[in-house]
Amino acid sequence: MSDNESDNSNANEIRTDGTGIVAPDDETPTWSERKARKTGLSRVTYEYFERARREDQDLRTESDYVERDVLGFPTWPHEVIRNLAIAMFFSGIILLVSAALPPHLGDAANPSQTPEIILPDWYLYWSFGLLHLDPVNPELAVLGGEKIMSDELYGVLANVVVVGIVAVVPFLNKGSARRPVEQPFWAAVGVAGVVFSLTIAALAIQNLIPMPLDLLLNLVFVLPLVSGFITYAALKTMREGYTYDLNRRYYRLRPPK
Amino acid sequence: MSLEKKDDFDHNAWLKERDLTLIETTFLTTLIYLDRRLRIVDYLEILETMYYRINLQMPKSHTEQYNLDNKFWYWYPLYSLGFFSILAYIIAAVSGALLGFYYSPSTEGDPSAAYNSIIAISQDLNFGAYLRSLHRWSAQFMTAAVFLHMVRVYFTGSYKEPRELNWILGIILISLTLVFGYTGYLLPWNQLAFWAAQIGVEMSLAVPIVGEWGAQLLFGGFTLGEATIVRMYILHVFILPFVVTALIALHVGIVWMQGIAEPH
Repeated sequence: MSDNESDNSNANEIRTDGTGIVAPDDETPTWSERKARKTGLSRVTYEYFERARREDQDLRTESDYVERDVLGFPTWPHEVIRNLAIAMFFSGIILLVSAALPPHLGDAANPSQTPEIILPDWYLYWSFGLLHLDPVNPELAVLGGEKIMSDELYGVLANVVVVGIVAVVPFLNKGSARRPVEQPFWAAVGVAGVVFSLTIAALAIQNLIPMPLDLLLNLVFVLPLVSGFITYAALKTMREGYTYDLNRRYYRLRPPK
Repeated sequence: MSLEKKDDFDHNAWLKERDLTLIETTFLTTLIYLDRRLRIVDYLEILETMYYRINLQMPKSHTEQYNLDNKFWYWYPLYSLGFFSILAYIIAAVSGALLGFYYSPSTEGDPSAAYNSIIAISQDLNFGAYLRSLHRWSAQFMTAAVFLHMVRVYFTGSYKEPRELNWILGIILISLTLVFGYTGYLLPWNQLAFWAAQIGVEMSLAVPIVGEWGAQLLFGGFTLGEATIVRMYILHVFILPFVVTALIALHVGIVWMQGIAEPH
């Protein structure tokens, strides 16, 4: 205030030293001020963006949202570039194989003649095998030895159950363990599932397998269990060595939660 | 989380306190207005990212960073299965679109127009046999790749916590892939196709309450014929491609957002 008053009083005086014709020195913009005005818009933009970013950061730190330890690395470029080589190689294999092995076209459809072997494409063998589970469709004593549902419905439901079990896996198995050695149980379940998908496919082509049906049915369920147990035992055995290695070279850098 | 305006970030007060010229005030008001709505600040970050990309400073992957390569190199081929199944899907889509010009979905004629058109494609059309072979083999490879992809995701625990929904989406996608394969398997209308369709009808008839309705909807009745093949054709070339492509885009979009889960 006092400076302004003194400035005003100075300005009202008649000066004889030649000043006052142009704007007084303290009002004249210096060259840096002129520069600042010229670049003002970009600077002001920069300042605003800094504020906006800080605002975002503050909101993030203040929020009660817990940032989970999501471990992932970028799809682009790492994963795509890494995948490109091998995926292009196999695409080339598709071109090669389709030139070398033309698909078979069987006889035309004939509703009056049932073929000896009815089969879907190979990727549906597991589903078709589940339709062949009628020997294990339980007969309830309560109903006088009758089956509670038809064999066909039993097969369809088996499909639904299998897909449903696969779907609930992430809701049952939680935690940060990722490797099979860290979770021998779930690895064993996985191996048992894969083996079951193969044995149940074998059940679908039971005509082609020289084995009595009873034995085949037993194997369908026993083989997955056995392979699951073997996996579990093997992983448990391997675990100690792996854990030692993990502690030594990895968990020291990134302690598990 | 509170969304109330903090005094610190009362941009209008900041504008007043800055004592700006008219031009600057107008400019800043416009900028703030646009930024509040369009998040211009984010695009600056994209520019930054592009700068680092152009300078080829590729960040190390999780595996490289922690020197886990000697432990995990054997997983890598399995990590490419998802991408590979998309490539196989594209090959199948292109060859299938070309086959669609020559295939006729009908049981009319002797033995049937569909079967005859397959023979015509294989024998009369230039590169027709190769085209059909390509379509079939890419479908086989895609199905196999999708199965193995699921197994890989299971054994590396990649379906875990933030990624459950993508796992469910993957199950829907693998089921639709199987339906894709099944509907395509029926189109040549040969013996295998006919009896596979017969199994399908019997399966859906076995379901109580909705079974008959489902059989009529999907197979056009309880006996196989013209309606069946037309429905399978429309499912295979019209409905499923749109649905599956959209779901694949969503699936990959979620992976893109969440990042690839490496075993750790």
